[in-house]
Amino acid sequence: MLAEQIINGIVLGSMYALVALGYTLVFGVLDKLNFAHGETFMLGGFVAIAASALGAPLWVAFPCALLICGALGLLVELLSFRKFRSADAQVTAALSSLALGLVLIDLVQKTYGSEPVSLELPLEVRTATIAVGGIEIAQIKLAILGIALLLMGGLQVLVTHTRVGRNIRAVAESPLAAALLGIHVRLVMQQTFVIASALAGIAGVMLAMRTGYAASDIGFTFGIKALAIMAIGGMGDLRGAMLGGILVGIVEALAVQFGLGKLGEIVVWILMIIVLLVRPGGLFSTGTEQRA
Amino acid sequence: MPEPILAVDMLEVAYGPIRALRGCSLTVSAGETVAVVGANGAGKTTLLRAISNVLPHTGGEVRFDGTTTRGRRADQLALAGLLQVPEGRGIIGRLSVAENLQLAWALRPDEGGFEAASRRVFARFPRLQERLSQRAGSMSGGEQQMLALARAIISPPRVLLVDEPSLGLSPVMVSEVFSVLKAFRESGVTILLVEQNVRQALAIADRAYVLRQGTIVAEGSGQTLLSDPAMLRYYLGSG
Ligand SMILES: Nc1ncnc2c1ncn2[C@@H]1O[C@H](COP(=O)(O)OP(=O)(O)OP(=O)(O)O)[C@@H](O)[C@H]1O
Ligand SMILES: [Mg+2]
Repeated sequence: MLAEQIINGIVLGSMYALVALGYTLVFGVLDKLNFAHGETFMLGGFVAIAASALGAPLWVAFPCALLICGALGLLVELLSFRKFRSADAQVTAALSSLALGLVLIDLVQKTYGSEPVSLELPLEVRTATIAVGGIEIAQIKLAILGIALLLMGGLQVLVTHTRVGRNIRAVAESPLAAALLGIHVRLVMQQTFVIASALAGIAGVMLAMRTGYAASDIGFTFGIKALAIMAIGGMGDLRGAMLGGILVGIVEALAVQFGLGKLGEIVVWILMIIVLLVRPGGLFSTGTEQRA
Repeated sequence: MPEPILAVDMLEVAYGPIRALRGCSLTVSAGETVAVVGANGAGKTTLLRAISNVLPHTGGEVRFDGTTTRGRRADQLALAGLLQVPEGRGIIGRLSVAENLQLAWALRPDEGGFEAASRRVFARFPRLQERLSQRAGSMSGGEQQMLALARAIISPPRVLLVDEPSLGLSPVMVSEVFSVLKAFRESGVTILLVEQNVRQALAIADRAYVLRQGTIVAEGSGQTLLSDPAMLRYYLGSG
Protein backbone atom coordinates (compact mmCIF):
# COMPACT_ATOMS: atom_id res chain seq x y z
CA MET A 1 0.00 0.00 0.00
CA LEU A 2 1.45 3.28 -1.16
CA ALA A 3 0.68 5.54 1.83
CA GLU A 4 2.06 2.97 4.22
CA GLN A 5 5.25 2.64 2.21
CA ILE A 6 5.71 6.39 2.22
CA ILE A 7 5.32 6.41 6.00
CA ASN A 8 7.85 3.59 6.25
CA GLY A 9 10.14 5.68 4.09
CA ILE A 10 9.80 8.73 6.30
CA VAL A 11 10.51 6.67 9.42
CA LEU A 12 13.59 5.12 7.80
CA GLY A 13 14.60 8.52 6.45
CA SER A 14 14.39 10.15 9.86
CA MET A 15 17.00 7.69 11.12
CA TYR A 16 19.18 8.32 8.07
CA ALA A 17 18.85 12.01 8.82
CA LEU A 18 19.99 11.64 12.43
CA VAL A 19 23.13 9.80 11.37
CA ALA A 20 23.78 12.15 8.45
CA LEU A 21 23.49 15.14 10.80
CA GLY A 22 26.40 13.79 12.81
CA TYR A 23 28.61 13.44 9.74
CA THR A 24 27.72 16.91 8.58
CA LEU A 25 28.16 18.57 12.00
CA VAL A 26 31.67 17.23 12.38
CA PHE A 27 32.49 18.04 8.79
CA GLY A 28 31.15 21.56 9.20
CA VAL A 29 33.31 22.27 12.22
CA LEU A 30 36.53 20.39 11.37
CA ASP A 31 36.37 20.06 7.57
CA LYS A 32 37.12 16.40 8.17
CA LEU A 33 35.12 13.20 7.78
CA ASN A 34 34.64 10.99 10.81
CA PHE A 35 34.75 7.43 9.50
CA ALA A 36 34.10 6.01 12.96
CA HIS A 37 30.66 7.64 12.93
CA GLY A 38 28.89 4.67 11.31
CA GLU A 39 30.28 2.41 14.02
CA THR A 40 29.17 4.80 16.76
CA PHE A 41 25.71 4.41 15.27
CA MET A 42 26.15 0.64 15.19
CA LEU A 43 27.14 0.62 18.86
CA GLY A 44 23.84 2.32 19.73
CA GLY A 45 22.02 -0.84 18.64
CA PHE A 46 24.18 -3.01 20.86
CA VAL A 47 23.61 -0.70 23.80
CA ALA A 48 19.92 -1.49 23.34
CA ILE A 49 20.75 -5.23 23.25
CA ALA A 50 22.86 -4.97 26.40
CA ALA A 51 20.26 -2.92 28.27
CA SER A 52 17.53 -5.39 27.39
CA ALA A 53 19.76 -8.34 28.37
CA LEU A 54 20.18 -6.71 31.78
CA GLY A 55 16.40 -6.64 32.08
CA ALA A 56 16.07 -2.86 31.85
CA PRO A 57 12.87 -1.38 30.45
CA LEU A 58 12.97 -0.41 26.81
CA TRP A 59 13.39 3.34 27.29
CA VAL A 60 16.55 2.91 29.35
CA ALA A 61 18.46 2.20 26.12
CA PHE A 62 18.04 5.84 25.06
CA PRO A 63 19.88 7.60 27.90
CA CYS A 64 22.45 4.80 27.93
CA ALA A 65 23.16 5.17 24.21
CA LEU A 66 23.28 8.93 24.61
CA LEU A 67 25.94 8.66 27.31
CA ILE A 68 27.97 5.77 25.92
CA CYS A 69 28.01 6.94 22.31
CA GLY A 70 28.56 10.55 23.39
CA ALA A 71 31.58 9.44 25.40
CA LEU A 72 32.76 7.41 22.43
CA GLY A 73 32.61 10.62 20.41
CA LEU A 74 35.06 12.20 22.86
CA LEU A 75 37.37 9.23 22.45
CA VAL A 76 37.20 9.44 18.65
CA GLU A 77 38.07 13.15 18.82
CA LEU A 78 40.97 12.45 21.17
CA LEU A 79 42.47 9.54 19.23
CA SER A 80 41.74 10.38 15.61
CA PHE A 81 41.32 14.15 15.33
CA ARG A 82 43.06 16.05 18.14
CA LYS A 83 46.54 15.57 16.73
CA PHE A 84 45.53 16.15 13.14
CA ARG A 85 44.42 19.74 13.25
CA SER A 86 45.97 21.16 10.11
CA ALA A 87 43.86 21.37 7.00
CA ASP A 88 46.10 18.95 5.09
CA ALA A 89 45.69 16.23 7.73
CA GLN A 90 42.28 15.26 6.33
CA VAL A 91 43.47 11.91 5.03
CA THR A 92 45.31 11.09 8.25
CA ALA A 93 42.22 11.78 10.36
CA ALA A 94 40.02 9.83 7.95
CA LEU A 95 42.29 6.78 8.06
CA SER A 96 42.70 6.94 11.80
CA SER A 97 38.97 7.15 12.43
CA LEU A 98 38.35 4.37 9.92
CA ALA A 99 40.76 2.16 11.86
CA LEU A 100 39.07 3.07 15.13
CA GLY A 101 35.72 2.09 13.63
CA LEU A 102 37.10 -1.28 12.51
CA VAL A 103 38.41 -1.91 16.02
CA LEU A 104 34.91 -1.20 17.36
CA ILE A 105 33.37 -3.68 14.93
CA ASP A 106 35.88 -6.28 16.01
CA LEU A 107 35.19 -5.71 19.68
CA VAL A 108 31.44 -6.03 19.13
CA GLN A 109 31.92 -9.20 17.08
CA LYS A 110 34.16 -10.71 19.77
CA THR A 111 31.34 -10.14 22.26
CA TYR A 112 28.23 -10.86 20.21
CA GLY A 113 29.47 -12.82 17.20
CA SER A 114 29.17 -11.62 13.62
CA GLU A 115 25.53 -12.62 13.12
CA PRO A 116 22.77 -10.10 13.87
CA VAL A 117 21.57 -10.26 17.47
CA SER A 118 17.83 -10.01 17.98
CA LEU A 119 16.36 -7.49 20.37
CA GLU A 120 13.56 -8.85 22.53
CA LEU A 121 10.67 -6.42 22.37
CA PRO A 122 7.49 -6.90 24.39
CA LEU A 123 4.66 -8.17 22.19
CA GLU A 124 2.50 -5.09 22.71
CA VAL A 125 5.35 -2.83 21.60
CA ARG A 126 5.76 -4.80 18.39
CA THR A 127 2.09 -5.11 17.49
CA ALA A 128 0.32 -2.03 18.82
CA THR A 129 -1.03 0.13 16.03
CA ILE A 130 -2.84 3.38 15.80
CA ALA A 131 -5.20 4.54 13.07
CA VAL A 132 -4.19 7.77 11.41
CA GLY A 133 -6.46 8.95 8.63
CA GLY A 134 -7.70 5.46 7.93
CA ILE A 135 -4.25 3.86 7.89
CA GLU A 136 -3.12 1.50 10.61
CA ILE A 137 0.40 2.53 11.66
CA ALA A 138 2.58 0.67 14.10
CA GLN A 139 2.99 2.79 17.20
CA ILE A 140 6.67 2.05 17.32
CA LYS A 141 7.17 3.67 13.93
CA LEU A 142 5.36 6.77 15.07
CA ALA A 143 7.39 6.85 18.27
CA ILE A 144 10.64 6.61 16.29
CA LEU A 145 9.55 9.35 13.94
CA GLY A 146 8.46 11.52 16.86
CA ILE A 147 11.75 11.12 18.71
CA ALA A 148 13.75 11.75 15.54
CA LEU A 149 11.83 14.91 14.71
CA LEU A 150 12.18 16.10 18.29
CA LEU A 151 15.93 15.58 18.20
CA MET A 152 16.24 17.35 14.85
CA GLY A 153 14.19 20.28 16.09
CA GLY A 154 16.24 20.37 19.27
CA LEU A 155 19.47 20.38 17.30
CA GLN A 156 18.19 23.19 15.11
CA VAL A 157 17.34 25.28 18.17
CA LEU A 158 20.67 24.44 19.79
CA VAL A 159 22.64 25.50 16.73
CA THR A 160 20.70 28.64 15.91
CA HIS A 161 19.65 29.97 19.30
CA THR A 162 22.11 28.98 21.99
CA ARG A 163 25.57 30.03 22.97
CA VAL A 164 26.96 26.56 22.28
CA GLY A 165 25.42 26.73 18.82
CA ARG A 166 26.84 30.17 18.08
CA ASN A 167 30.26 28.95 19.14
CA ILE A 168 29.89 25.90 16.91
CA ARG A 169 28.97 28.08 13.94
CA ALA A 170 31.85 30.44 14.64
CA VAL A 171 34.41 27.63 14.81
CA ALA A 172 32.87 26.06 11.69
CA GLU A 173 33.61 29.24 9.80
CA SER A 174 37.01 30.14 11.21
CA PRO A 175 38.78 28.46 14.13
CA LEU A 176 41.34 31.28 14.13
CA ALA A 177 38.78 34.08 14.34
CA ALA A 178 36.87 32.11 16.98
CA ALA A 179 39.96 31.64 19.15
CA LEU A 180 40.82 35.34 18.92
CA LEU A 181 37.32 36.15 20.12
CA GLY A 182 37.85 33.98 23.16
CA ILE A 183 36.23 30.71 22.10
CA HIS A 184 37.91 27.55 23.35
CA VAL A 185 38.12 25.89 19.96
CA ARG A 186 39.02 22.41 21.17
CA LEU A 187 36.14 22.40 23.63
CA VAL A 188 33.75 23.32 20.82
CA MET A 189 35.15 20.47 18.72
CA GLN A 190 34.60 18.06 21.61
CA GLN A 191 31.05 19.33 22.05
CA THR A 192 30.45 18.78 18.37
CA PHE A 193 31.67 15.20 18.55
CA VAL A 194 29.54 14.48 21.61
CA ILE A 195 26.39 15.87 19.99
CA ALA A 196 27.01 14.08 16.69
CA SER A 197 27.83 10.77 18.38
CA ALA A 198 24.93 10.90 20.82
CA LEU A 199 22.50 11.47 17.94
CA ALA A 200 23.99 8.49 16.10
CA GLY A 201 23.73 6.34 19.21
CA ILE A 202 20.05 7.13 19.60
CA ALA A 203 19.47 6.44 15.91
CA GLY A 204 21.16 3.08 16.47
CA VAL A 205 18.78 2.24 19.31
CA MET A 206 15.80 3.19 17.19
CA LEU A 207 16.95 1.14 14.20
CA ALA A 208 17.34 -1.90 16.46
CA MET A 209 13.83 -1.35 17.80
CA ARG A 210 12.42 -0.88 14.33
CA THR A 211 14.06 -3.96 12.80
CA GLY A 212 14.16 -6.11 15.93
CA TYR A 213 17.90 -6.77 15.77
CA ALA A 214 21.35 -5.17 15.96
CA ALA A 215 24.06 -6.05 13.45
CA SER A 216 27.76 -5.26 13.60
CA ASP A 217 27.99 -4.46 9.88
CA ILE A 218 25.34 -1.75 10.01
CA GLY A 219 27.94 1.00 9.88
CA PHE A 220 28.95 -0.17 6.42
CA THR A 221 25.44 -0.50 5.07
CA PHE A 222 23.18 2.00 6.76
CA GLY A 223 25.94 4.24 8.15
CA ILE A 224 27.76 4.77 4.89
CA LYS A 225 24.48 5.64 3.24
CA ALA A 226 24.13 8.48 5.72
CA LEU A 227 27.51 9.68 4.48
CA ALA A 228 26.07 9.78 0.96
CA ILE A 229 23.05 11.66 2.29
CA MET A 230 25.38 14.25 3.76
CA ALA A 231 26.88 14.73 0.31
CA ILE A 232 23.43 14.92 -1.27
CA GLY A 233 22.25 17.46 1.28
CA GLY A 234 25.46 19.48 1.06
CA MET A 235 28.57 18.93 3.18
CA GLY A 236 28.13 20.75 6.46
CA ASP A 237 24.53 21.75 5.73
CA LEU A 238 22.26 20.71 8.62
CA ARG A 239 18.98 21.30 6.84
CA GLY A 240 20.31 19.43 3.82
CA ALA A 241 21.11 16.38 5.95
CA MET A 242 17.59 16.34 7.42
CA LEU A 243 15.76 16.80 4.14
CA GLY A 244 18.20 14.54 2.29
CA GLY A 245 17.72 11.75 4.81
CA ILE A 246 13.95 11.82 4.56
CA LEU A 247 14.07 12.11 0.78
CA VAL A 248 16.30 9.06 0.45
CA GLY A 249 14.15 7.13 2.92
CA ILE A 250 11.04 7.80 0.85
CA VAL A 251 12.75 7.02 -2.46
CA GLU A 252 14.01 3.72 -1.09
CA ALA A 253 10.60 2.78 0.25
CA LEU A 254 8.99 3.62 -3.09
CA ALA A 255 11.60 1.53 -4.89
CA VAL A 256 10.49 -1.41 -2.78
CA GLN A 257 6.85 -0.61 -3.45
CA PHE A 258 7.42 -0.63 -7.20
CA GLY A 259 9.13 -3.99 -7.13
CA LEU A 260 12.75 -2.91 -7.41
CA GLY A 261 13.46 -4.83 -4.22
CA LYS A 262 17.10 -4.81 -3.17
CA LEU A 263 17.88 -2.72 -6.24
CA GLY A 264 16.35 0.18 -4.30
CA GLU A 265 19.54 0.28 -2.28
CA ILE A 266 21.54 1.67 -5.19
CA VAL A 267 19.20 4.62 -5.61
CA VAL A 268 21.06 6.61 -2.98
CA TRP A 269 24.41 6.06 -4.66
CA ILE A 270 23.14 7.05 -8.08
CA LEU A 271 21.49 10.08 -6.55
CA MET A 272 24.77 11.02 -4.89
CA ILE A 273 26.74 10.74 -8.14
CA ILE A 274 24.22 12.89 -9.98
CA VAL A 275 23.93 15.52 -7.23
CA LEU A 276 27.72 15.81 -6.93
CA LEU A 277 27.96 16.29 -10.69
CA VAL A 278 25.15 18.78 -11.04
CA ARG A 279 25.05 20.55 -7.68
CA PRO A 280 28.31 19.88 -5.85
CA GLY A 281 27.19 22.21 -3.03
CA GLY A 282 24.26 19.90 -2.31
CA LEU A 283 20.71 19.47 -3.48
CA PHE A 284 19.33 22.27 -1.33
CA SER A 285 22.15 24.78 -1.59
CA THR A 286 21.52 28.23 -2.98
CA GLY A 287 25.18 28.96 -3.44
CA THR A 288 25.50 31.11 -0.34
CA GLU A 289 23.66 28.70 1.93
CA GLN A 290 24.89 28.71 5.48
CA ARG A 291 26.65 25.65 6.75
CA ALA A 292 26.53 23.98 10.16
CA MET B 1 58.20 53.94 35.31
CA PRO B 2 55.35 51.47 35.81
CA GLU B 3 55.57 48.03 34.22
CA PRO B 4 54.14 48.13 30.66
CA ILE B 5 50.85 46.31 30.19
CA LEU B 6 52.33 44.47 27.19
CA ALA B 7 56.03 43.70 26.81
CA VAL B 8 57.49 41.79 23.89
CA ASP B 9 61.03 40.72 24.57
CA MET B 10 63.40 39.33 21.92
CA LEU B 11 60.60 37.37 20.25
CA GLU B 12 61.65 34.73 17.70
CA VAL B 13 59.18 33.09 15.31
CA ALA B 14 60.03 30.84 12.38
CA TYR B 15 57.98 29.22 9.63
CA GLY B 16 60.20 26.21 9.00
CA PRO B 17 63.46 27.67 7.68
CA ILE B 18 62.00 31.20 7.32
CA ARG B 19 62.79 33.36 10.34
CA ALA B 20 59.90 35.79 10.33
CA LEU B 21 60.71 37.46 13.69
CA ARG B 22 64.32 37.83 14.77
CA GLY B 23 64.51 39.11 18.31
CA CYS B 24 61.67 41.60 18.13
CA SER B 25 61.14 43.74 21.24
CA LEU B 26 58.60 46.43 22.10
CA THR B 27 56.44 47.68 24.96
CA VAL B 28 52.97 49.15 25.30
CA SER B 29 51.93 51.03 28.45
CA ALA B 30 48.36 51.39 29.66
CA GLY B 31 46.48 54.09 27.77
CA GLU B 32 49.06 54.32 24.99
CA THR B 33 48.49 53.94 21.28
CA VAL B 34 51.53 52.29 19.74
CA ALA B 35 51.98 51.72 16.02
CA VAL B 36 54.20 49.17 14.32
CA VAL B 37 54.81 50.09 10.71
CA GLY B 38 56.59 47.98 8.15
CA ALA B 39 56.52 46.97 4.50
CA ASN B 40 54.89 43.84 3.07
CA GLY B 41 56.39 40.76 4.65
CA ALA B 42 58.16 42.65 7.44
CA GLY B 43 56.54 40.35 9.99
CA LYS B 44 53.71 42.50 11.33
CA THR B 45 51.02 39.83 11.20
CA THR B 46 53.46 37.27 12.56
CA LEU B 47 54.17 39.57 15.50
CA LEU B 48 50.50 39.97 16.43
CA ARG B 49 49.77 36.28 15.98
CA ALA B 50 52.68 35.36 18.18
CA ILE B 51 51.55 37.85 20.85
CA SER B 52 48.07 36.27 20.83
CA ASN B 53 49.59 32.77 20.96
CA VAL B 54 47.96 31.54 17.78
CA LEU B 55 51.51 31.06 16.51
CA PRO B 56 54.12 29.43 18.72
CA HIS B 57 57.34 31.35 19.31
CA THR B 58 60.71 29.67 19.42
CA GLY B 59 62.48 32.24 21.56
CA GLY B 60 61.94 35.30 23.69
CA GLU B 61 58.89 36.11 25.73
CA VAL B 62 55.64 38.04 25.78
CA ARG B 63 54.46 39.49 29.10
CA PHE B 64 50.88 40.65 29.48
CA ASP B 65 49.98 42.47 32.70
CA GLY B 66 53.31 41.47 34.17
CA THR B 67 52.97 37.73 33.62
CA THR B 68 54.30 35.60 30.81
CA THR B 69 51.82 34.39 28.19
CA ARG B 70 53.69 31.10 27.88
CA GLY B 71 51.33 28.14 28.15
CA ARG B 72 48.16 30.22 27.80
CA ARG B 73 45.82 29.59 24.89
CA ALA B 74 44.72 32.33 22.49
CA ASP B 75 41.15 32.21 23.80
CA GLN B 76 42.35 32.52 27.40
CA LEU B 77 44.38 35.59 26.49
CA ALA B 78 41.39 37.08 24.65
CA LEU B 79 39.16 36.52 27.67
CA ALA B 80 41.80 38.15 29.86
CA GLY B 81 41.49 41.24 27.65
CA LEU B 82 44.38 40.80 25.21
CA LEU B 83 42.12 41.09 22.20
CA GLN B 84 43.05 41.00 18.54
CA VAL B 85 41.22 42.21 15.45
CA PRO B 86 43.13 40.08 12.95
CA GLU B 87 44.16 40.75 9.40
CA GLY B 88 41.11 40.05 7.28
CA ARG B 89 38.89 41.26 10.16
CA GLY B 90 37.90 37.90 11.64
CA ILE B 91 34.19 38.55 11.59
CA ILE B 92 31.97 35.46 11.37
CA GLY B 93 30.42 36.02 7.95
CA ARG B 94 27.66 33.42 8.24
CA LEU B 95 26.35 34.93 11.46
CA SER B 96 24.25 38.07 11.49
CA VAL B 97 25.65 41.38 12.69
CA ALA B 98 23.64 41.02 15.89
CA GLU B 99 24.95 37.50 16.47
CA ASN B 100 28.53 38.65 15.97
CA LEU B 101 28.04 41.29 18.66
CA GLN B 102 26.24 38.89 21.00
CA LEU B 103 28.93 36.28 20.57
CA ALA B 104 31.64 38.75 21.51
CA TRP B 105 29.74 40.17 24.44
CA ALA B 106 28.74 36.76 25.82
CA LEU B 107 32.39 35.72 25.85
CA ARG B 108 33.48 38.79 27.78
CA PRO B 109 30.35 40.09 29.53
CA ASP B 110 30.46 43.26 31.62
CA GLU B 111 28.14 44.22 34.48
CA GLY B 112 26.06 46.65 32.44
CA GLY B 113 24.45 43.92 30.35
CA PHE B 114 24.27 43.36 26.61
CA GLU B 115 21.64 46.03 25.98
CA ALA B 116 23.70 48.81 27.52
CA ALA B 117 26.84 47.57 25.77
CA SER B 118 25.17 47.55 22.38
CA ARG B 119 23.71 51.02 22.95
CA ARG B 120 27.25 52.27 23.56
CA VAL B 121 28.43 50.55 20.40
CA PHE B 122 25.58 51.89 18.26
CA ALA B 123 26.26 55.43 19.43
CA ARG B 124 29.68 55.07 17.80
CA PHE B 125 28.65 52.85 14.89
CA PRO B 126 25.11 53.95 13.95
CA ARG B 127 25.22 52.13 10.64
CA LEU B 128 25.56 48.75 12.34
CA GLN B 129 22.26 49.24 14.10
CA GLU B 130 20.49 49.43 10.74
CA ARG B 131 22.03 46.15 9.70
CA LEU B 132 21.57 43.99 12.77
CA SER B 133 19.85 41.13 11.01
CA GLN B 134 22.05 41.17 7.90
CA ARG B 135 24.57 38.37 7.39
CA ALA B 136 27.89 39.89 8.37
CA GLY B 137 29.61 38.37 5.33
CA SER B 138 27.29 40.20 2.95
CA MET B 139 28.34 43.66 4.16
CA SER B 140 30.96 45.78 2.40
CA GLY B 141 34.59 45.53 3.46
CA GLY B 142 34.43 48.82 5.31
CA GLU B 143 31.29 47.83 7.17
CA GLN B 144 32.88 44.52 8.09
CA GLN B 145 35.90 46.33 9.50
CA MET B 146 33.57 48.55 11.52
CA LEU B 147 31.81 45.45 12.84
CA ALA B 148 35.16 43.93 13.78
CA LEU B 149 36.13 47.08 15.71
CA ALA B 150 32.69 47.37 17.29
CA ARG B 151 32.84 43.75 18.38
CA ALA B 152 36.26 44.30 19.91
CA ILE B 153 35.11 47.11 22.19
CA ILE B 154 31.63 45.85 23.05
CA SER B 155 33.22 45.09 26.38
CA PRO B 156 36.42 47.08 26.79
CA PRO B 157 39.65 45.15 26.16
CA ARG B 158 42.80 45.66 28.26
CA VAL B 159 44.93 45.84 25.13
CA LEU B 160 43.54 45.97 21.61
CA LEU B 161 45.75 44.54 18.86
CA VAL B 162 44.69 45.66 15.38
CA ASP B 163 46.22 44.19 12.22
CA GLU B 164 46.04 46.44 9.14
CA PRO B 165 42.47 47.65 9.54
CA SER B 166 42.81 49.84 6.43
CA LEU B 167 43.71 46.93 4.15
CA GLY B 168 41.66 46.87 0.96
CA LEU B 169 39.43 49.81 1.87
CA SER B 170 38.58 52.91 -0.16
CA PRO B 171 40.29 56.16 0.93
CA VAL B 172 37.07 57.38 2.52
CA MET B 173 36.68 54.20 4.54
CA VAL B 174 40.37 54.32 5.52
CA SER B 175 39.90 57.76 7.07
CA GLU B 176 36.80 56.51 8.83
CA VAL B 177 38.69 53.56 10.30
CA PHE B 178 41.43 55.85 11.56
CA SER B 179 38.97 58.26 13.09
CA VAL B 180 37.35 55.34 14.94
CA LEU B 181 40.76 54.26 16.23
CA LYS B 182 41.45 57.83 17.28
CA ALA B 183 38.17 57.90 19.17
CA PHE B 184 39.09 54.61 20.87
CA ARG B 185 42.38 56.14 21.85
CA GLU B 186 40.74 59.23 23.26
CA SER B 187 38.38 57.12 25.35
CA GLY B 188 41.41 55.47 26.92
CA VAL B 189 41.71 52.14 25.06
CA THR B 190 45.26 50.80 24.92
CA ILE B 191 46.07 50.01 21.29
CA LEU B 192 48.84 48.22 19.44
CA LEU B 193 48.23 48.99 15.78
CA VAL B 194 50.06 47.31 12.93
CA GLU B 195 49.91 49.17 9.62
CA GLN B 196 51.38 49.66 6.21
CA ASN B 197 49.52 52.93 5.92
CA VAL B 198 52.40 54.71 7.60
CA ARG B 199 51.29 58.34 7.62
CA GLN B 200 47.88 57.80 9.12
CA ALA B 201 49.15 55.22 11.61
CA LEU B 202 51.93 57.52 12.85
CA ALA B 203 49.51 60.44 13.01
CA ILE B 204 47.35 58.75 15.64
CA ALA B 205 50.14 56.98 17.55
CA ASP B 206 51.82 58.16 20.74
CA ARG B 207 54.84 56.04 19.92
CA ALA B 208 55.81 53.93 16.95
CA TYR B 209 58.23 51.22 15.91
CA VAL B 210 59.53 50.45 12.45
CA LEU B 211 59.69 46.74 11.75
CA ARG B 212 61.94 45.45 9.00
CA GLN B 213 62.69 41.80 8.25
CA GLY B 214 61.58 40.68 11.67
CA THR B 215 63.45 43.22 13.80
CA ILE B 216 62.71 46.67 15.13
CA VAL B 217 65.00 49.10 13.31
CA ALA B 218 63.67 52.42 14.57
CA GLU B 219 61.58 53.73 17.41
CA GLY B 220 60.23 57.11 18.41
CA SER B 221 57.18 59.24 18.91
CA GLY B 222 54.75 59.25 16.02
CA GLN B 223 55.57 62.86 15.26
CA THR B 224 59.35 62.33 15.29
CA LEU B 225 59.13 59.46 12.81
CA LEU B 226 56.70 61.38 10.61
CA SER B 227 59.12 64.30 10.43
CA ASP B 228 61.91 62.06 9.14
CA PRO B 229 60.66 61.01 5.70
CA ALA B 230 64.14 60.04 4.52
CA MET B 231 64.48 57.49 7.27
CA LEU B 232 60.99 56.14 6.64
CA ARG B 233 61.68 55.85 2.93
CA TYR B 234 64.86 53.97 3.66
CA TYR B 235 63.20 51.42 5.93
CA LEU B 236 59.84 51.10 4.28
CA GLY B 237 60.78 51.39 0.64
CA SER B 238 58.46 54.36 0.20
CA GLY B 239 56.99 57.32 2.08
N1 LIG C 1 52.26 30.53 6.97
C1 LIG C 1 53.48 30.95 6.54
N2 LIG C 1 54.37 30.05 6.07
C2 LIG C 1 55.59 30.45 5.66
N3 LIG C 1 56.00 31.72 5.65
C3 LIG C 1 55.17 32.65 6.09
C4 LIG C 1 53.86 32.33 6.55
N4 LIG C 1 53.25 33.46 6.94
C5 LIG C 1 54.13 34.46 6.71
N5 LIG C 1 55.29 33.97 6.21
C6 LIG C 1 56.49 34.77 5.88
O1 LIG C 1 56.89 35.45 7.03
C7 LIG C 1 57.26 36.78 6.71
C8 LIG C 1 56.43 37.76 7.50
O2 LIG C 1 55.06 37.65 7.11
P1 LIG C 1 53.89 38.50 7.75
O3 LIG C 1 52.62 37.99 7.23
O4 LIG C 1 54.07 38.53 9.22
O5 LIG C 1 54.20 39.94 7.14
P2 LIG C 1 53.36 41.26 7.23
O6 LIG C 1 54.30 42.31 7.70
O7 LIG C 1 52.12 41.06 7.99
O8 LIG C 1 53.02 41.54 5.71
P3 LIG C 1 51.73 42.21 5.04
O9 LIG C 1 51.90 43.68 5.16
O10 LIG C 1 51.78 41.76 3.62
O11 LIG C 1 50.53 41.70 5.75
C9 LIG C 1 57.09 36.91 5.21
O12 LIG C 1 58.36 36.71 4.61
C10 LIG C 1 56.16 35.81 4.84
O13 LIG C 1 56.43 35.35 3.54
MG1 LIG D 1 50.13 41.20 7.56
